[in-house]
Amino acid sequence: MNLASYRKKSPWILHYNAGGCNGCDIEILACLAPKYDIERFGMINTGNPKQSDILLVTGPVTKRSRERLVEIYAQMPEPKVVISCGACASTGGVFRGMYNCEGGVDQFIPVDVYVCGCGTRPEQIIDGVVQALAILEKKTKELEESVKLKREAVKEGHQLNRRHIADEIKPVLS
Amino acid sequence: MGRQYEIPVGAQHISLLEPLHFKFTTENERIVRTDANVYYVHRGIEQACCSKFKFRQVSFVVGRVCGLCSISHTTAYSQVAEKLLKIEIPKRAKYLRMLVIELDRIHSHLLCLSHVAENSGFEALFMKTMQYREFSMELLEAVCGNRIQYDFSIVGGVARDLKPETGQLILQRLKNFMPQLEELVGIYQHNWTLSLKNKGTGVLTREDAMRLNVVGPFARAAGLAVDVRNETEDLLPWKEVGFEMITDTAGDVHARNMIRLREIGVSIRLIRNIIDGLPESALLTETKAFPDGEATVRLEAPRGELFYYAKGNKTQVLERLKIKAPTFSNVAGMVHAFTGNEYGSAAAIIASYDPCLSCTAR
Ligand code: SF4
Repeated sequence: MNLASYRKKSPWILHYNAGGCNGCDIEILACLAPKYDIERFGMINTGNPKQSDILLVTGPVTKRSRERLVEIYAQMPEPKVVISCGACASTGGVFRGMYNCEGGVDQFIPVDVYVCGCGTRPEQIIDGVVQALAILEKKTKELEESVKLKREAVKEGHQLNRRHIADEIKPVLS
Repeated sequence: MGRQYEIPVGAQHISLLEPLHFKFTTENERIVRTDANVYYVHRGIEQACCSKFKFRQVSFVVGRVCGLCSISHTTAYSQVAEKLLKIEIPKRAKYLRMLVIELDRIHSHLLCLSHVAENSGFEALFMKTMQYREFSMELLEAVCGNRIQYDFSIVGGVARDLKPETGQLILQRLKNFMPQLEELVGIYQHNWTLSLKNKGTGVLTREDAMRLNVVGPFARAAGLAVDVRNETEDLLPWKEVGFEMITDTAGDVHARNMIRLREIGVSIRLIRNIIDGLPESALLTETKAFPDGEATVRLEAPRGELFYYAKGNKTQVLERLKIKAPTFSNVAGMVHAFTGNEYGSAAAIIASYDPCLSCTAR
């Protein structure tokens, strides 16, 4: 088994509330609980953006959580998938047009799956995450193809990678 | 004196459901000072309620202030609007409102308990509590049609009737839940590891609770008998259905857990009484009047006293709406109770406050 299959079989989830009403957040929590048990798909909830593959965002983005949201997204390693959970994360919902709301996650970061409903039902969230898995797989494949290209370029010797540089430095030091 | 370190927690953190930022100043692992920053999720609901939405629509908007206690918000707003319209709602509507508020209290308290267990490092108990909590979500769905945003109270009454079969279903499920509740009480009360983590941490004394104006289970755990259900009778007849005040004296995380578990017991009794004595009447009082004058309403949400103020000017749109959420009153007490505890138990203490920031920031 390689990294790609681990990623497919066990995606890690990061959850961020960008100003919603908690309703969708407790449904995400309910997904982790025994009745819906999202862990049977190998998913667990992590608190660290650097280890996660799927970002679940709830809430219309408020002006203050905007920078945090973009920061978290930027810290996640590729490939990554973003799911917007709930009506207010997808479009702004009832909060659309309120003075401190930006209205929707997709104004700031690219969203792959939209889950509708106010509040979303756990079944819908699980459905959205399973769709996200397919997208994750596709993104992984695309990413790996581009990595292959890069490797060949290195082999031809036009670019130095870190090991080459270290090899060159050694004799100077000793 | 040792060296002081500052440890930030939040805005995004695994032990927090919502964006909340604490800055702990620690000295030898002990917290000596705390700064809280709670306004990450301010959306501007009050302003929108006074400009964009008509007063009958506002009850659906204020439900979105908080998903955990949305019924408390919609009910409190409906009551304040009814005061402005000067109408009295039918008795059956009052009883149904109380029914949903109590069901909501059960699910909110169980969520908080499971969260405390998780943050104390007891993952299995988290799973167990969440599993037992599902019955209340299913009942709420049967009664209101949705799992979280109920939109059950509307201005003038309630939106749905309770079918007799649903009433029977509720009684049946509550009967099934009783042994599970006893099991939970046993674990939270006597489990050795959990009590090591929870007893004596995050203590708030009665004097401090009084001085810092703390409300809800947080205050009742410190021995302060504050509960709006005990004080007001005019809007919802709590005493008629057998409300009972519950207090504790220790004021620590363990006492808060026990308060919540015992309140669930009281809620179950209230629900039984409500369903047994459900009066027959209409569900809605119709009126063509417009809101006029000023009014205030207090209501006991799962986290404490919720306060609404509204002012009307004989038009469709309200002139002013003010929401004061229970967590807002508790912030001072929350910051105070951290002092002197180890940093390691901070997560459990945060969860035991049951903070609701989307209520606070609106
Ligand atoms: S979609 Fe509805 S339930 Fe979900 S966070 Fe937004 S307002 Fe709350």
